[in-house]
This record gives sequence, C-alpha cells and structure tokens, in this order.
Amino acid sequence: MSHTLHRRGTQKNLERDFVLFAMSAKGVNEVGSGSKLKRFLEILQEHNPVNLGDMKTGNRFITSCENITNSAKDTSIVHGVFASREDLILALKAIKEADLGISVIVSGLLDDVHDCCRSAGLQPHTCETSLGVWGDKDRLPDEDILRFTTMCGHGQVAFNLVAKIIEDVKTGKRTVDEGARELARPCQCGVFNPVRAAAMLEEILCLWGIHVA
Amino acid sequence: MKVDENRCLGCGRCRAYCTMGAIGLVRDIRGRTCAQVDEYECVDCGVCYRAGVCQGDALYEPAPVWPRSVRGTFSNPLVEHKETRVPGRGTEEMKTNDITGRFKWGQAGMAVEMGRPGVGARFPDIEKVAMAIAAVGGVVFEPKNPLTTLMADRKTGKMNPEVMGEKVLSAIIEIMVPVNRVPEIIAAVRQVSRDISTVCSLDLTTKVDPDGGLKAFALARDAGVSPTINGKTNLGLGRPLFVEEVQA
Repeated sequence: MSHTLHRRGTQKNLERDFVLFAMSAKGVNEVGSGSKLKRFLEILQEHNPVNLGDMKTGNRFITSCENITNSAKDTSIVHGVFASREDLILALKAIKEADLGISVIVSGLLDDVHDCCRSAGLQPHTCETSLGVWGDKDRLPDEDILRFTTMCGHGQVAFNLVAKIIEDVKTGKRTVDEGARELARPCQCGVFNPVRAAAMLEEILCLWGIHVA
Repeated sequence: MKVDENRCLGCGRCRAYCTMGAIGLVRDIRGRTCAQVDEYECVDCGVCYRAGVCQGDALYEPAPVWPRSVRGTFSNPLVEHKETRVPGRGTEEMKTNDITGRFKWGQAGMAVEMGRPGVGARFPDIEKVAMAIAAVGGVVFEPKNPLTTLMADRKTGKMNPEVMGEKVLSAIIEIMVPVNRVPEIIAAVRQVSRDISTVCSLDLTTKVDPDGGLKAFALARDAGVSPTINGKTNLGLGRPLFVEEVQA
C-alpha cells in the first residue's frame, strides 16, 4: 500500500528520517501537474534534501537532481528525504506558500511530523500506520539489516547487499559514506535515507564479523 | 532474469544485489565459473541488471510471457500496471485522499502487503490470506488494486489459477471497511498468518478527526496491535479538496 511505510527503527534513529513527496490524482488534477511536481522538487532542493527521486527517472545517486526535476511528468510521484527537522519545517512552509494544489505526503515519526505540520501552519488530513510484520518471521534477517532494507518500500535493497556493504566497510574497501550511497542506489524512488544509513553503519560495524578467506 | 553464460565473467558481483538471493555461482560445461539465476526464486525485479555491476553485460531479461509476467509487474517498480497507470504494486490509496475522498469519515483502509519486507510471496499464500479476509464477510477488495484484477472471484478472494505458480517481491491485498470492523480484520490476519510460509506487513489508514484523533488506530490497540511510531500523513494540500459535509 505504501512505499514509505514500514520503515523500521527506534525512536532515536528514526528522528532524522523524513520523506516528503507529492503526486496528482489520476483523472482529477492530473493534467498539467507535471510543472507543479517540477516546482515541488525545486522547492525541496532549496532545503537540503539528502536524497531526491522519481520512480521512473531514478534517485540522485544514479542521476542528477537536474534530470530528476526536468523529467517530472503529470504521472510522476516525486520524493525528497530530509535528515533535519528544521529543514523539513522550512520545506513545508515553502510548499504551503507555493499552493501547488497537488497532494503532499510526509513520512516520519507521526507525533513529530504532526508537530512539524503545526509549525508550518498545516493540518494533517489522513494518516497511515504500520501494524507490523506477521507470518513466518523466522525468514527475516537481523533487525540491524531490516533497518536499512525497509527504507526502500519496494524491496529493492537486498538483505545480502547490506551484509556485503558492512563487510566492504570493515575490510576498508569502502568508507561508511560510500557504503551508505551504494545502499541508496537500488532504491529507484529516492526515498532511502543515506545519512541515516551512514549513522546506522557506524553504530553496528563493531557488532558484525567478516568472512576470512 | 537470465545470465548469458557466454558473456558472464564469473565475478559474482551481481549476487549481493539480488533481492531474493537467487543468484548462485556454478561451473558451466566448459568448467568456467558462471552466475546462474534460480528462475523459480527470481521475481524479475531487475535490481541486479540496474545495479550496473555486470562487467560482461551478461544479465538480460527475456520478454515477459503470461503468467510469468506478473513477477515483473509486482516486483519491478519501473513497470506500470496497465489498469491503474500507477507504477509499483499498489494504488494512490491515502496519498491523494485529500482530492479523491476515497477514505471517508468512519471508514478505514487496510492492506496486507504479502512478502514484505523483502521475503517475497507465492500466490498460494496470497490467496490464503485474501480468502481469509473475504471470509470475514462484507469485505470489498479495492477494484483499482492490480492484485484484485488477478482474482478469479472477488467475493471469495480466490486467485486466477494460472498465476498460482508465480512468486512476487510483494503484492498488496487492499480493502476498505467501516472503522469499527478493524478488529475483525486484524483477527483474521492474525489467524491466517500462522499458516503461511512467508511474511506480510499490515497497513491501516484513516482520516484524521477534526480534534486530531485517530479512531482506527485506537481500535487496533484495543485489538492488541500497536500502530508503529512512524507512518504517513497526507497534508490536505491537494486541490480541488474533497469536501465531506458530515462526520459519521
């Protein structure tokens, strides 16, 4: 139901993880919305997003922000990720001011997001929450791994890739930031938060062993 | 996804990117190391291909043929569903609720995301959950959801037999119910989830009351399930705004 729902983590490591995105409604305000979505992306870029993307065009780690912006079409769903509450509030204020008339959605800690909305003079309209994971949970990897992979709701960041990046960083093949950026690449929509990923990599590196040939 | 054995260099770089862990290294008939995709487990998400790590340009995806084609449409977000024109597995759901008014006062949107996170789901499990939800009675599967279009019987949740051998990264069973029926759906999912060989994630959507309350979330808590601390919020900025006169 939602590509930005079900992000796993603690209160602490989710507190700098906000996804702000927009789209038009098919058959209602779709026609001509491409230019509004483009303007939305321009506004986001004025407030330090740590990722940007559109499912069809890709994220900022596989293409340029300029290309993402210029490729926005009536049917696009465009996204930006913020790692700062202050940046989110400023972006929300600017979006309200722009009055684009397209649907805008924020993902993040609900209480915090609603507080940011109030600061920006906005009233939450509809909310969606996760009621958790059910079924054969023995098939899931470590919670450490899930906190990375669930940042891509389309499941494009593989469990094995996280393990490989951890190993690459531990063996000096990549820096933490390089590892975080590589993890962000498969998430086509650009909703993966590389800043949060880097912080989580730093935090768990000491807990993971490496394969010795 | 397939590997052209004549082009594969056997480096194995593609393996880490496979969302289903379905790429292995084998010896080909000439004794060379070569990547091989387990076609039974592969969901045609295309991630290995798009990762751009194949130095031999050996990965390729044959033209999709029914019913195998459902793997890509549910697993590769770049593939747009013909019926909904929405890429990915779902619908616009609450994202445009400010405009469409799809979820009204007194209603709750619920969805079971089969196979999420990252495990994948086969259609017999998807059918099992859909039928368990339908058995609650009075449930309407969201007609715009691409999974609904694969149902042979939308009253019972029975799937088209032709797709039963297929596996997808995830597929969303999407319904709308009166808000006071949220606990019944939770109970049905709780029961059937003990009998599936994969995981699923449960979603709950509701309009925010004028006083900021979220009745459906409170009902979920009463049913013994705590909504997570994070979630999605539609800001009501879409125009024309769907206006409801009376709160049920």
